Amino acid sequence: MLTHLFKLIWNKKKQNFLLMTEMFVSFIILFAVFTALVYYYQNYHRPMGFEYDRVWKFGYNAPREISDPDSMAAFRGSVRQLIRSMPQIEEVSFSSENIPFGNDNNVGGVNYYKKNVGADKYTVDDSYSAVLHVSVKEGRWFSKEDDAAKEKPVVINETLKKSLFGNENAIGKLIGEGGEGMGNMKIVGVINDLKDKGDFAGPHNGLYRRVDTGNYGGGAILLKVSSDADRAFESRLFKVLSSTMRNPDINIQHLAYMRTRINNIRLIPVIITLIVAGFLIINVALGLFGVLWYNISKRKSEIGLRRAVGASGHSISGQLVGEALVLSTISLIVGSFFALQFPLLNIFDLPALTYLIAQGLAIAFIYLLVMICAFYPGRQAAAIYPAVALHED
Amino acid sequence: MLRNYFKIAIAVLRRKKFFTFISLFGISFTLTIVIIVAAFVDNMFSAGYPDINRDRELFVSRMQIRSSTNASSINAGPSYYFIDHYVSRLKTPAKIAILSGNFPVTTYLNNKKQVTSVRSTNDQFWEVLQFQFVEGKPYTKQQIDNGEKVVVISEAVRSNYFNEGVAAVGKYIELLNMQYRVTGVVKNLPSASNVYADIFTPLTLTQEDMHEPSLVGGHTCILLLDSKANIPKMKEEFNQMAAKVPMDDKKIDNKIFDRKLVFADTFLESFVRDFHAGFTEGAGAGVDIFILIVSIFFLLFLLLPTLNLVNINISRIMDRYSEIGVRKAFGASSRTLVYQFIVENLILTFIGGAIGVGLSFIIVQVINSMDFMYNNRISVNFHVLSFALLASLVFGLLSGVYPAWRMSRMNVVMALKAQ
Repeated sequence: MLTHLFKLIWNKKKQNFLLMTEMFVSFIILFAVFTALVYYYQNYHRPMGFEYDRVWKFGYNAPREISDPDSMAAFRGSVRQLIRSMPQIEEVSFSSENIPFGNDNNVGGVNYYKKNVGADKYTVDDSYSAVLHVSVKEGRWFSKEDDAAKEKPVVINETLKKSLFGNENAIGKLIGEGGEGMGNMKIVGVINDLKDKGDFAGPHNGLYRRVDTGNYGGGAILLKVSSDADRAFESRLFKVLSSTMRNPDINIQHLAYMRTRINNIRLIPVIITLIVAGFLIINVALGLFGVLWYNISKRKSEIGLRRAVGASGHSISGQLVGEALVLSTISLIVGSFFALQFPLLNIFDLPALTYLIAQGLAIAFIYLLVMICAFYPGRQAAAIYPAVALHED
Repeated sequence: MLRNYFKIAIAVLRRKKFFTFISLFGISFTLTIVIIVAAFVDNMFSAGYPDINRDRELFVSRMQIRSSTNASSINAGPSYYFIDHYVSRLKTPAKIAILSGNFPVTTYLNNKKQVTSVRSTNDQFWEVLQFQFVEGKPYTKQQIDNGEKVVVISEAVRSNYFNEGVAAVGKYIELLNMQYRVTGVVKNLPSASNVYADIFTPLTLTQEDMHEPSLVGGHTCILLLDSKANIPKMKEEFNQMAAKVPMDDKKIDNKIFDRKLVFADTFLESFVRDFHAGFTEGAGAGVDIFILIVSIFFLLFLLLPTLNLVNINISRIMDRYSEIGVRKAFGASSRTLVYQFIVENLILTFIGGAIGVGLSFIIVQVINSMDFMYNNRISVNFHVLSFALLASLVFGLLSGVYPAWRMSRMNVVMALKAQ
């Protein structure tokens, strides 16, 4: 049966070639769209890893007259005291500017002997994990006992642990900031991944360093506020802090709001692509339907003859749908060849599973589309009366 | 002759309504998308309020400090010191605007939170960029040098701080616990504008230390030239100057970071340079490659609708087997037939194109009325329309040529016998 269908298609390869090209291109576009959708969906379902409700970010630049590490530490201490003294504040943490859902990134190399990877580097203090409710997987978070540590204490996230050590134990190992030698940073803890680049971002390596007196200048303060902190409190807090900072570029933002914003930045291009791809597919579906319908009406005499020698209506429509499916299978095989290159060559650095699921969905979608488009013309063909069809000829 | 083709084309279109619908749907939708994208691109790249001299401006907006030993780099705008000491001594520019990056300033008016973006500029900024003043005038060099606390605000800020339409010049607004006197009010800027801000203050009020040697600082400068023809000369002078500037910056470790990259770019070049975060080293910024990639994407997008139209066109032609057979038998040459069919197809594409233009007018209205880009109004102007015309021509030819060629090779005897 299949070989017969294939022969029928082969005989009209010239006419079918364009149809197959169209299905091929549609498949490639669907593959791209589904890859994006599957990737977003997978990321959306990863756990957040931290809590952002009632967390505010206070962005600042330290006063210009502070230039040495000691007065910087003193300044930080007094700001912390000032903020902690307000009843609405539950927890305070200093952080580098790359806070969750922010625009700032700080990416650099991390190495374990010769193994080099890129990672997001955060500079945070002891209460960071308390403000964001970070869950520690192994080891511990920073604490006072790190004050006297000989090697710089660092905490890494699970993804970085996997990419540097695989399944081995990471606690206590020394890592460096790029290069090849033995590092001077000692891992004291491994935390669960923070999905801090928005709900749809993929996992990334993360390295957390402890704020020390050597860190200058600006950054952010993360505040966990109580549930009765309102706009009036925010305004009061801003007044107090702005007179302490003596510096113009300060601001307060709510993490929940920043999350919506960063999600929108990622979603809008995908929504636009979906709309465009949707129209393209409707276009292709209509075209396919038209062409299949036309082809069948051209083959009236052939179908009439088959009916005359006893073929049932079902077998006629089955044959036509089958032909269309064989046609799409050929283009899908060619398309899959290209699609498989993505996981094989590791283009765009996405997990192989994402590509494979997307490919499966695209194949299913094309089959469904072709079946729907071929079904009605097939039914029409099945309804042909042999006498009428043969008489026309 | 053409009139005849037109009549035939219309007759054919009316004969197979379903096919006509599919073709027109495909064509008009495709062109609508092309037009809308073109409108956005036009809005982004062509000169508009307040940056109307863009074609004779060069932008120095990025200073990259690199290390030859490892891959790290520092990427930010040039410092005020660099612009003041080196760039402003160049001879070619007619005027030089200096502006800081815009930073958000939060104010709480009656517990209502307002975030306005503030930018510091020099006095020539107001001459390089053509702002429309609703009232008052810009601050002068004199006022900047005296360190006066004066600001120019946008209309939106005026209606937030004072009331709608109330004159604000001479009144004070509070920013960062200090009182600033308003000297002028300008028309609102589109949010995508390269100089966007709600409040403009004199450069002396920024935080950067202006007299300490530095390279990186977050400023931008715009070099306005007398004419477009001076651009190559300007670039050359700039590169010569940049090569001589020492690596003198206290915040940067000279042992690690030993190279700097800074260019005077046209608007497109600076856009492309920002786009490749990797910062291409060449002076051309990789604009050619960028345009090539964009064109390839554009053609790929057109591929699917074109294939669809080709398929439908072939079916249409096969439907006219007998007509073509008869015409061939009476001596019509292949060329005449090909020509006729292409013209027919072009007529179809232009009808689709007209629907597409109509649709895109509606969609542009909707986008503008939603105002989700804050003051950014895209429009279907002459540029965009001529591009749409070109696109429908290309689209029509692409989808018409192959079916026409297939038709012209049709065997007469077979065609006539089929009936």
